[in-house]
Amino acid sequence: MHVSPVREPLINGEKSYKDITNDVMAPIRAKPGKLWFVGLGISMLVMLVGFAMIGYTVWFGIGTWGVNRTIGWGWGITNFVWWVGIGHAGTFISAILLLFRQKWRTSINRAAEAMTIFAVMCAGLFPLIHMGRLPLGFFILPYPNTRELWVNFNSPLLWDVFAITAYLLVSLLFWYMGLIPDLGTIRDRMKTLWKKKVYNFLSFGWKGSARHWQRHESMSLILAGLAAPLVLSVHTIVSFDFATSVIPGWHTTIFPPYFVSGAVFSGFAMVLTLMIVTRKVLNLQEYITVGHVESMNKVIIATGSIVGIAYITELFMAWYSGVEYERYAFLNRAMGPYAWAYWIMMTCNVISPQLLWFKKLRRNLTFTFVLSIFINIGMWFERFVIVVTSLHRDYLPSSWSMYKPTWVEVAIYLGTFGLFFTLFFLFIRVFPVIALAEVKSVLRSSARKFIGKPVKNQPSEKQ
Amino acid sequence: MGAIVYGHFTDEPDLLKAVKELQNKGIRIADVRTPFPVHGLDKALKYRRSHLPKVAFIAGVAGAVLMFYFQYWVFTEGWPLNFGGKPYFSVLSFIPGTFEITILFAAFAMGIAFLVRSNLGPGSIPDILDENVTDDHFQIILSEKENRLSETELSEALSATGALDVKHVNGEK
Amino acid sequence: MSEEKKYWHLLEEFEPLNDVRVAGKPDVNASPTSRRNFLKVLGLGTASAALIASCKRPVEKAIPYFIQPEEIIPGKAAYYASSYFNQNEFCNVLVKVRDNRPIKLEPNPKSVVTPNGTSGRVQASVLDVYNTNRYKNPQKNRGPIDWETADGEIMEQLQQIAKSGKPVLLITPTIISPSTKKLIAAFKETFGAEWQQYDAIPMDGYRKANLQSFGADALPEYDFEKADCIVSVGCDFLGTWLSPVEFSGQYAKRRDLHNENSGLNKHYQIEAGMSLTGSNADVRIRVERTDYGKILAYIYNKLASELGDAVLGAFVPAQEITQKLDKIVAALLANEGRSLVLCGDNHPDSQSIVNGINQMLGNVGETVKFDRTYNHYQGSEKWKETLLNSDPDAVIVWDVNPVYNHPESDKIKAAIEKAQLSIAISSLPDETAELCTYILPSPGYLECWDDAEYKKGVFSVLQPTLHKLFDSRQAQETLLAWLENEISWRDYIKEHWTSTYFAQQNENTDPDRFWVEILKSGELVLPEEATLLSFQSGETEKSIQHIASEKTAEGFTIELVENINAGTGHGPLNPWLQECPDPVTRIAWDNYASIAPSVARQMGIKNGDVIQLGNLAIPAFVQPGQAEKTISIAIGYGRVTGVPEEIVTGVNAYPLAKIENGMRRFAIPGFSIEKTGRFEKMALIQGHQSMEGRPIVRESTFDKWKENPAAGNELHEQVQHHHTTLYQGYEYKGHKWGMAIDLNKCIGCSACVLACNTENNIPVVGKQESIRHHEMHWIRIDRYYNGDEENPEVVRQPVMCQHCDNAPCENVCPVAATNHSSEGLNQMAYNRCIGTRYCNNNCPYKVRRFNWYDYTGADAIPKNRFDPANMTVDLARMRHNPDVTVRSKGVIEKCSFCVQRIQEKKLTAKSEGRPLPDGELQTACQQACPANAIVFGDMNDPNSKVSKMIKNPRNYHLLEEIHTLPSVGYLTKIRNKS
Repeated sequence: MHVSPVREPLINGEKSYKDITNDVMAPIRAKPGKLWFVGLGISMLVMLVGFAMIGYTVWFGIGTWGVNRTIGWGWGITNFVWWVGIGHAGTFISAILLLFRQKWRTSINRAAEAMTIFAVMCAGLFPLIHMGRLPLGFFILPYPNTRELWVNFNSPLLWDVFAITAYLLVSLLFWYMGLIPDLGTIRDRMKTLWKKKVYNFLSFGWKGSARHWQRHESMSLILAGLAAPLVLSVHTIVSFDFATSVIPGWHTTIFPPYFVSGAVFSGFAMVLTLMIVTRKVLNLQEYITVGHVESMNKVIIATGSIVGIAYITELFMAWYSGVEYERYAFLNRAMGPYAWAYWIMMTCNVISPQLLWFKKLRRNLTFTFVLSIFINIGMWFERFVIVVTSLHRDYLPSSWSMYKPTWVEVAIYLGTFGLFFTLFFLFIRVFPVIALAEVKSVLRSSARKFIGKPVKNQPSEKQ
Repeated sequence: MGAIVYGHFTDEPDLLKAVKELQNKGIRIADVRTPFPVHGLDKALKYRRSHLPKVAFIAGVAGAVLMFYFQYWVFTEGWPLNFGGKPYFSVLSFIPGTFEITILFAAFAMGIAFLVRSNLGPGSIPDILDENVTDDHFQIILSEKENRLSETELSEALSATGALDVKHVNGEK
Repeated sequence: MSEEKKYWHLLEEFEPLNDVRVAGKPDVNASPTSRRNFLKVLGLGTASAALIASCKRPVEKAIPYFIQPEEIIPGKAAYYASSYFNQNEFCNVLVKVRDNRPIKLEPNPKSVVTPNGTSGRVQASVLDVYNTNRYKNPQKNRGPIDWETADGEIMEQLQQIAKSGKPVLLITPTIISPSTKKLIAAFKETFGAEWQQYDAIPMDGYRKANLQSFGADALPEYDFEKADCIVSVGCDFLGTWLSPVEFSGQYAKRRDLHNENSGLNKHYQIEAGMSLTGSNADVRIRVERTDYGKILAYIYNKLASELGDAVLGAFVPAQEITQKLDKIVAALLANEGRSLVLCGDNHPDSQSIVNGINQMLGNVGETVKFDRTYNHYQGSEKWKETLLNSDPDAVIVWDVNPVYNHPESDKIKAAIEKAQLSIAISSLPDETAELCTYILPSPGYLECWDDAEYKKGVFSVLQPTLHKLFDSRQAQETLLAWLENEISWRDYIKEHWTSTYFAQQNENTDPDRFWVEILKSGELVLPEEATLLSFQSGETEKSIQHIASEKTAEGFTIELVENINAGTGHGPLNPWLQECPDPVTRIAWDNYASIAPSVARQMGIKNGDVIQLGNLAIPAFVQPGQAEKTISIAIGYGRVTGVPEEIVTGVNAYPLAKIENGMRRFAIPGFSIEKTGRFEKMALIQGHQSMEGRPIVRESTFDKWKENPAAGNELHEQVQHHHTTLYQGYEYKGHKWGMAIDLNKCIGCSACVLACNTENNIPVVGKQESIRHHEMHWIRIDRYYNGDEENPEVVRQPVMCQHCDNAPCENVCPVAATNHSSEGLNQMAYNRCIGTRYCNNNCPYKVRRFNWYDYTGADAIPKNRFDPANMTVDLARMRHNPDVTVRSKGVIEKCSFCVQRIQEKKLTAKSEGRPLPDGELQTACQQACPANAIVFGDMNDPNSKVSKMIKNPRNYHLLEEIHTLPSVGYLTKIRNKS
């Protein structure tokens, strides 16, 4: 009925429930366009090249990478941490914003969650393939064996295994449980029988019964309650990989909060990158509005500033600790042979997000898009700086050396983009990119002009 | 089963109003189907709070205990090994694993419980009377068996609440 | 350790040996009943079994003993006393033999020459036996030929030539084997042959000078243990000069602050290029290579004036160093009779001045003794004159390679090709052998019988420890065959010993017993008879006049130096030596032109820029401490023939040498540097040269140490106070292994590195991988410079796994592949490792090594072998130590404190029901160290040497401030600055 005075409408245009259904389902109903096929084709090609390079690595050994006796982790772990970071936005949006009752989440959470899952898949790949003996990777699981040998629960890398697995599974669960009603909706819009059957199977036979809704509601709430600390825990544990070590530049107690905010920072940036394109291509501008972009930009200022403060705190502590190794590590970051990486990181992550204090820029899509890409680059370099520059000059100068990735590493990294976008392209074809039911539930309160009934009588869906 | 009478509304307030009216008439409502969770509907229908949170809690506790004990057992009974001079029972190292497993157990137990309880799941065939309930129809279903009233009386009562195209299905059907 | 070690003698001992050694292949059917024949079959059996055995499915290919021979216990090593000799390397060794294969060389603690340890080259030499490129059968004009026909043809021609009165020229390296000398004498008279010796690196200048000064054409014995003050002018006596293994042992005794009776010696090094010895000196003075003579002359004059002797002409060198030299002179005067002056220049003038100085200081007879003169470096240029002038019809080149290592190689090549009969006796193909009509393959020294008189009156034997791998025949056997002498070479030696030396000794009364004892101990030392010498100062006078008349050289001077790994040219054939970085430059797989930093800056030359020096294009290396006008280049590289091209490296610098009044000189003035603009990446293992002011190597001076033994190590005390922990420490019952390294004794010779390679089957990764920092060494010798780049001070530190009690690597391994043993070892379970490399990242010492590729062939995935140096061919695999797992691709490996040795010794002690005495158990690195700088033992035993050293105030732990609690301790370096 009325638009809240403080908040601009979350959904533009005059929408009925049916309109929402139709708008969101349009891409699923329509025949895929040329653009989509081209996009999917390219992504799959890149993905296959990446997989080929993974095979090459497994066959001939990690020697095909640029890592060496001093720098044991190069792009592999850099990409791992980066992708995990990306994979933080989705669950953050759907879980934490749900707990904070942020209604604007409803238009973006579905796509964001999907992105989370794909990103975590890409991330999970790297710890596996950076192993020297991937075929024996299963040693990392605590399974009963004849040697009665278990795993080392002291190792942060093992904690990672638990964290990443739990995170992937719980995110999947959360995402899919949210999907069930919408899949039901799709099922009922489908004409052909086999499609109905498939979507009914996927929707677990959803029928929108009030009891189910009640349970679904309370489950979503609790799941959000569980997922929220999980999100925070994942990157905390990833940061333990470094924080619990003895390497100067790694051995830092500030890492957990610093990593988490960094993760959300990069995650939101990636969501923006994707959403700004998606809303145009699938013309969902009325659902994903400039308002949404602005809200996300606000989150980016917040997290970005935390990251910036973390960087400065690190520098201060390095000086204040008086530990010469620590001091050197940070001096070396800023002035050593990898200083360029450090300054790319600083510019992209600390300076650029501060521009968002200007409302004009916050609401400028092109600017936001460019910025989001800058942030993604910056965050990648943050991980590169942490992993490589800390290692390449640690305690004993006799072992200092340099690291340069080989084309194999580069191809594998690109390959994960291929995987990510392949999955994303498929996702937008078969699943609703916007949480139908949730948007409908906020329509009354947050639409520019609320119309329950259709404006004009549309042809009935019944056959 | 006996005959079923159903009709739908196109907006939530109408639905809630109707639900109240029918209940005042002492008519028991078999089911209400909506495209999205209608705020206050469960109260109107006097549904008890769901038990899912309890399930999650119990599973979570189970997971925590299990994982912590497992780690403890491995490090002290199973095969005590000296890692970097740490004590065998290094509690701090056990926390991350325990935490993750707790969440995992809680979440999945609840998810599964939800599906089982609502007998939803792969391959379950729903009894859909109006496909638009997943779109923009708010449907009320009355069952003859639950009420002492006749099929026609029920449909009248339903229409009286302003429900659109009220239909009925015979039990035999 | 020597107590329980079995000194074996071969079984041939008890039966006459006639056919085996001469016949190429043992005649199996000769007498099936004979035990020896059986063993021959067995030897061949196991050898060839191993030869065709590949590591993939050993079970299929191993041939089990069908009768268990009582002498060979599978899994139990036998040790044979033998000796290694090559150029300047002589070492009495014990050959460790497992299942009929020599797999390791260990020092013979009973030796009088080299009781302490071995050199790196000695360690690596065991691999040469298993070199696939060896000649496998006799050849005539590249075609195969059998021994009988070859012998027939050769003898016929030799007799003709002998009749025609034309000379037969036999060129050998220095022969120190008395029996061989005897045999050659016989050969000479039968065929009227002329025998000349040729050394790749000449020392004929020394001999000439000694002849003139003392009337003795000999190389005297030097006593570094006795010398309180050593002044070495460009003499690399710890690395490559004369008898380095022996000298390092003596030298290190005087760097040991624990033996009370002798204080720290004082070592001045005056040199142009940074040598291993120079990098260990207390005071290093940088001078130009061409000034050596002038410097010596100045010292001589100064001394003379101080001692009131005749000053031979007023003489002033470059005066910026005169005051430094005056200090040295003062030091020498303070230690008359207990000092030692040396010069590394093979120039009679410099040497006769050195003689003059030592004579003046009364060192002759004290630190310079002519009683036990060295028998090696007998070579001269005579052979060349004979070869080029009196064109001989027959030339026999025996293990010499002048075509490669002589500046006039073209003429030599022509002369050899011209000769109607040219015979090469060589084990490996080389540039010279390839020219000859007949190529007669000779076996490696581990397959041979031989004897040696390294020093006058000090005799050793060499005995075969491996059945000949190929159809080869020892040179001496060949000569015997040509002389139609039926006696076997072994009997020939025995006969010579029993007839000659048996009489001169009195321990044994029975000649056979005597021979057996010799074979057991491997050494016989006859009482020395004092030699009376009269000194003629006249020569010194002349020499000083020569030098005074010398005009200063124009342009840059190139000095050809011997590299501790490459040697005179044997190194490049040995992947282990190639991969071992040079202890000074830390570059592996290459030689290079070392230039001074100032020059580099002027000309804008960076490491690896290829520069043109005369006809030689060679990458440059900026060497701190290098003299400005001197460029040092290592010889021995650029071998092509007989080297698989994967491991051909460096350029041959020998052609630069020049002949100067009948002597080869390795210092050649008058060069200019031109940049070629090309760049060549070198395998610089250690990229960063400075300690960045970190307390990594702690040092102090002798004076400070005398006041406070903890001088330079104050930090240790502070850190000890900070060591607090929430956890109660792990209690090590029984043993707690630990190691202590005396940085004052370590000279950086890298013998430990190569011993470790051999003991632990460490893969060779090749030059390209070394460039990518994928080297696999478990122990490395870090080298840091401090002070000004013009003449920095050098410190060294051997670093292996520190076996920390709070090991950061152990905590982070997700699969528990690395953890701590109950005896304090940081242990690796290779088959559990999945290769996350987290441990390596988290190791502050960066001692963990990762198998980047399938270096060993142990990997399950086919067709991914990465073996640039042919180290995984079956023949090379015969050398593997069966006690150590060969690691597969993708696993981390590292120093294990030689856990296989620990287990072996513990079990022996246990089975003999006795406690394991301290010192019985030695790690490979400790055992090989010629300076005894490394001590290993049980830290739970308060009386063990290691726990005493750990308690020493000089002891500290590397990076102890991060509380990793290493089991390895380092003792501060103490420089003698007084």
